[in-house]
Amino acid sequence: MRSGWKDWLRVWLLVILGSSGFSRSSHAVEAISFSRDVMPVLSEHCFQCHGPDEKARKAKLRLDSREGVLLSGKDGVAAVIPGQSRRSKLVQRIESTHADELMPPPENKHPLKREQIALLKRWIDEGAVWGKHWAFEKPVRPSLPQVKQRAWPRNDLDYFVLRQIEKESLKPSPEERSPTLVRRLSLDLLGLPPTVADLEVLAGGAISDPAYTAIVDRYLSSPHYGERMAWDWLDAARYADSNGYQGDSERTMWPWRDWVVKAFNENLSFDQFTLWQIAGDLLPQATSEQKLATGFLRNHMINGEGGRIPEENRVDYAMDMSETTGTVWLGLTFNCCRCHDHKFDPLTQRDYYGMLAFFNQTPVDGSGGNPQTPPLLEVPSAEQVKRGQTIQAALNSQAALLGEYELKKFERPSGESAKASSGFGALPKEIQDALVVETAKRDATVLAKLSAHWKTNDLVYFEKLEMLRQRRVESDDLTRSIPRVMVMEDRPERRDTFVLFKGLYDKPGQKVEMGVPASLPGLPPGSPTNRLGLARWVVSPENPLTARVIVNRLWQQFFGIGLVKTAEDFGVQGEKPVNAELLDWLAVEFRESGWDVKHLCRLIVTSATYRQSSRSTPQRTERDPQNRLLARGPRFRMPSWMLRDYALSVSELLEEQVGGNSVNPYQPSGVWEEATFGVKKYSQDTGAALYRRSLYTFWRRIIAPPLFFDTASRQSCTVKQPRTNTPLQALTTLNDVTYFEAARVLAQKVMELAVENRSARIALAVRKVLGRPPSAEEAARLDRAILRYEHDFTMNPTAVEQLLSVGEAKRNPALNVSELASLTLVCSSLLNLDEALTKE
Amino acid sequence: MNPLDQHQLDTTRRQFFGRSATGIGVAALASLLGRGGAMAGPLAAGGTPSAKGLPGLPHFAAKAKRVIYLFQNGAPTHVELFDYKKRLTELHGTPVPEGYIGGKRFSTMTGKADGKLVLAPIEPFKQRGRSGAWVSDLLPYTAAIADDLCFVKSMHTDAVNHAPAISLILSGSQTPGRPTLGAWLTYGLGSEVENLPAFVVMTSVSKGTSCGQIFYDFYWGSGFLPSRFQGVKFRASSDPVLYLKNPEGLSRQMRRAMLDDIAAMNQMRLKEYADPEIATRIAQYEMAFKMQASVPDLTDVSKEPQSVLDLYGPSVKEPGTYAYNCLMARRLIERDVRFVQVMHAGWDQHNSITTELYTQCRDTDQPSAGLITDLKQRGLLDDTLVIWGGEFGRTPFIQGDIKDRKRWGRDHHPYAFTVWMAGGGVKSGMSYGETDDLAMNVVRDPVHVHDLQATILHQLGIDHERLTYRFQGRNFRLTDVHGQVVRGIV
Repeated sequence: MRSGWKDWLRVWLLVILGSSGFSRSSHAVEAISFSRDVMPVLSEHCFQCHGPDEKARKAKLRLDSREGVLLSGKDGVAAVIPGQSRRSKLVQRIESTHADELMPPPENKHPLKREQIALLKRWIDEGAVWGKHWAFEKPVRPSLPQVKQRAWPRNDLDYFVLRQIEKESLKPSPEERSPTLVRRLSLDLLGLPPTVADLEVLAGGAISDPAYTAIVDRYLSSPHYGERMAWDWLDAARYADSNGYQGDSERTMWPWRDWVVKAFNENLSFDQFTLWQIAGDLLPQATSEQKLATGFLRNHMINGEGGRIPEENRVDYAMDMSETTGTVWLGLTFNCCRCHDHKFDPLTQRDYYGMLAFFNQTPVDGSGGNPQTPPLLEVPSAEQVKRGQTIQAALNSQAALLGEYELKKFERPSGESAKASSGFGALPKEIQDALVVETAKRDATVLAKLSAHWKTNDLVYFEKLEMLRQRRVESDDLTRSIPRVMVMEDRPERRDTFVLFKGLYDKPGQKVEMGVPASLPGLPPGSPTNRLGLARWVVSPENPLTARVIVNRLWQQFFGIGLVKTAEDFGVQGEKPVNAELLDWLAVEFRESGWDVKHLCRLIVTSATYRQSSRSTPQRTERDPQNRLLARGPRFRMPSWMLRDYALSVSELLEEQVGGNSVNPYQPSGVWEEATFGVKKYSQDTGAALYRRSLYTFWRRIIAPPLFFDTASRQSCTVKQPRTNTPLQALTTLNDVTYFEAARVLAQKVMELAVENRSARIALAVRKVLGRPPSAEEAARLDRAILRYEHDFTMNPTAVEQLLSVGEAKRNPALNVSELASLTLVCSSLLNLDEALTKE
Repeated sequence: MNPLDQHQLDTTRRQFFGRSATGIGVAALASLLGRGGAMAGPLAAGGTPSAKGLPGLPHFAAKAKRVIYLFQNGAPTHVELFDYKKRLTELHGTPVPEGYIGGKRFSTMTGKADGKLVLAPIEPFKQRGRSGAWVSDLLPYTAAIADDLCFVKSMHTDAVNHAPAISLILSGSQTPGRPTLGAWLTYGLGSEVENLPAFVVMTSVSKGTSCGQIFYDFYWGSGFLPSRFQGVKFRASSDPVLYLKNPEGLSRQMRRAMLDDIAAMNQMRLKEYADPEIATRIAQYEMAFKMQASVPDLTDVSKEPQSVLDLYGPSVKEPGTYAYNCLMARRLIERDVRFVQVMHAGWDQHNSITTELYTQCRDTDQPSAGLITDLKQRGLLDDTLVIWGGEFGRTPFIQGDIKDRKRWGRDHHPYAFTVWMAGGGVKSGMSYGETDDLAMNVVRDPVHVHDLQATILHQLGIDHERLTYRFQGRNFRLTDVHGQVVRGIV
């Protein structure tokens, strides 16, 4: 009864005072948590000079360990005396009124706030309880919290979300209804809008559980699922189709990209996915696929700039591999440690070079002369393998026929070569040399010489030689056409690794051995000390980071923001998880499910949390502007690559082929040429290649495809994409050929289906773009728009002709052109609605 | 997100919802787009509606409001252009004397520099104007305005190769991925213009150069700052902003009608979803529409008097030339764009000092000087800071064969180089700092690139130590952990 009354009061206070942040209201009454409250203050204001970096440490004082803060100084007083804040040196210094005593030093211009000082004092008075940084402790599965609205959760993760919502005296939003929810699901799992068929099956209203489960299952087994999941992984892996830097030579890494799609589609368990990419080449009896996976590490840029020192490049590449691995799996930023111990995280320069040593064993050469720098792996397609076998069989039989003929032509004792035949000595030297080679082993040049020699005097022999030569040429062509992908290998002999002064390749210091950071658990027992051992360590159950980091990024993919907002930094300076128990529960669930990615996706999309409506009110939005509490469904603009796929899909232009080499879709003329002084010329594809999914767009590193905005640069590892809202984006979706052609083709499809009736056309166009029927107000507005456009267009046939000529797709000549042009504008407007651009 | 930024966003959202309580109508929408409108904060820069900067900025009264950085990509030779040393002529063709090089690192093209031969400047120098600044005959137009300039002759840097050195001078770090000067400024100070981006970049390269360096987009990147702060690169064509033009056949009236429909339908969505991003999107589509008009107006030079065009030289009307970009820089500044970065490549004369240096000077000298004159006569130079300079200098010793004059060259030289500045409260008619008698090393008043950056920020009223952004757990700033304002020139 009493607590009920208190809750009421709290609700009222919140309403009256209009609480500006959900976190503040709860912390005031809670006990101090060292890792959540105290560590960040110490780290922010003190670690720069009193942290893990030994060289930067002032007055031999360290405040990043319990021993450090309790150690008595020269005057016999410790920085922290538990229970006695007034006697503690730390408090005396941060409260000092003398400028030369005050900490942090005033010249740093980064003073402590009054409430931070109060917090430190309270912490000391309450016993100065110390703890480890949260992310460095192994996650354990928390028990399900008690919730009030017990009917709400659909699966376990909902309990954690609901608990937090209830703590803030909020209520979850109602469940989203069919068209919107199915659209959300389709965008999240496939990166494409739902088909009209999907929407019809689930027309209107609430969706029954079996129907929803069925559609989730169908999406998870679609080949487009892997394409959708691959994008974020490609950003993290800095995948591109060129080397970057000056020259920006082309490279062939797309078979690796296709492998990523396949791995997601086949639901390769994430621990295997990891092992293969970090160390597939070192697995026992490694398969070609496992070796191909190591292309992940080889996605680094390659510098062909004149004047660069090869060893400097080589070290750069190894550092890039090591830092990328650190960020992608461990959520740690190692790069600070290139030059010094980490200022904040317990990572030392030695740790950095210990990690680097794992990657420092490759034979990759830094001279940049060969843009496709070995080690390389041939990756023939299934078709190429088959074709290779056919050609080889034809070649062998042709070679046998030729051999039989030569036995007769150059008669000799059995078992002897043509040398032993009578006329041999009279032949020219190069013909003699050619004849002694086994027929099946003769190359195309040799065969050409022979056939030229006998063209005029032995037509039968000539023809047999030519037939073989043609098979040989086919075989050579095939071999040349097989993609070669950059992969990992280790050199047979170990290369020593040294701490490099300021990260400079030519300033080696102390020698270091391969090893993982000392503040994390060691390599699993029995694992080799090489990349394979490292990979096993990354996915070992003892590793506190990997599972958390990966589930956080998946969460980010669905909800737009991670439970830890700083997806790239799980260190001391990263954000504390907004819902630590949920993060840990997900991490343990993920690991214990056998690192089952589809399981995790299913868990998320079938949760009540995910299925909430994203409708809000100004009050609710203000209460939690970024939707960290998840008292409503996710709503944010789709990534630009998905916008393109969306437009292609609703206009049915999309070419659904999965995989293959990268393509060059529409691009304004001169973009590459201008960036490269005319060296790189863009040759736009035609036909189906214009309409492949964005994933297959050729990615030039120094000038990324211009119609994609807010994308990773693909120059170095990126695990969190920005999401901005600029006028340049508006110009892209309004004016780029891709989008305008999609509008034109969509208008055409609509007219073909909804023949005469204007309101039927509007209804169909809205349905195709937004997945829902138009409201009466919208329909009326669009109807007026069409009439106005038609009026204008009737008087301006030239404009109509120009508009309907945008893009390569064929125009249906049977349609009324003014009507088609007018509906095109309406479709373009629809594609530019916030609703169309947004997953909601 | 940076706590400040977050605070601003929250404040704005509160204001926004304050309004929305009475329903957000077309009038309210119009005010969203106006100066100091409710959405000002989060829309800052990057071509977004007029935006205030961070609270508390500028830290103190600014001398300059805007910046034009005339970046000379490839590293101009300070030895030929500004840093006159008669001893170079005396020692021409003889090995560099002991004590000048000692263990210094050069690019692999030079390798170990010991025993390299001194190369005299190829053209005569004279002292210019009342200030008596030394400028080579290679730059007659710059020479003529020497009294308006401040030559910093004691610049030095850490990097020996182009991309890292350019990254260092523009972003404070040799490794790409940090915000550049223009991004920091628009982040900190916001935008003064409502129909153009606040940070604009233009590039050019001399015709016939054998050594044009590539312009990487991280030279104007926003690094870890929100991407709306990155420079908007105008293209060297009649269509300087990508996708600016409506599809052929779509008139401005029709576009207006379409945008009205889009806005009206977005309004309906906004009521239902209460997502401030929808309001932002409405505003950004309006801005796009404005840019469709303002950008062609910007590039329409038909009303420029011939006398003004003549200041910039013969190629001023040719899109993509340095001269054209200098004129555009003035027109942008005139429209209150905060930061204009004009980059010109082709200064990398490893084997073409006696050939391509002439073309390079011809293409850049008159436009650079013309820009200063033009700004001055319009009264814009007082609060516009102009910086001219490259990423490092060139070696006082030769690269190539001393007997083969046609192929003389100079290699990269990070230990000394010259930049000049004008306007924006920087002292004019002065030379600052000094190198030794071979122009090899700085001997007096050294200015590191971080010092230059600190000084530029200072002129804009910013304490470089206090303009920070939190990323990966650290407060980053343009000057890293270094930088001192060069008090002697301000």
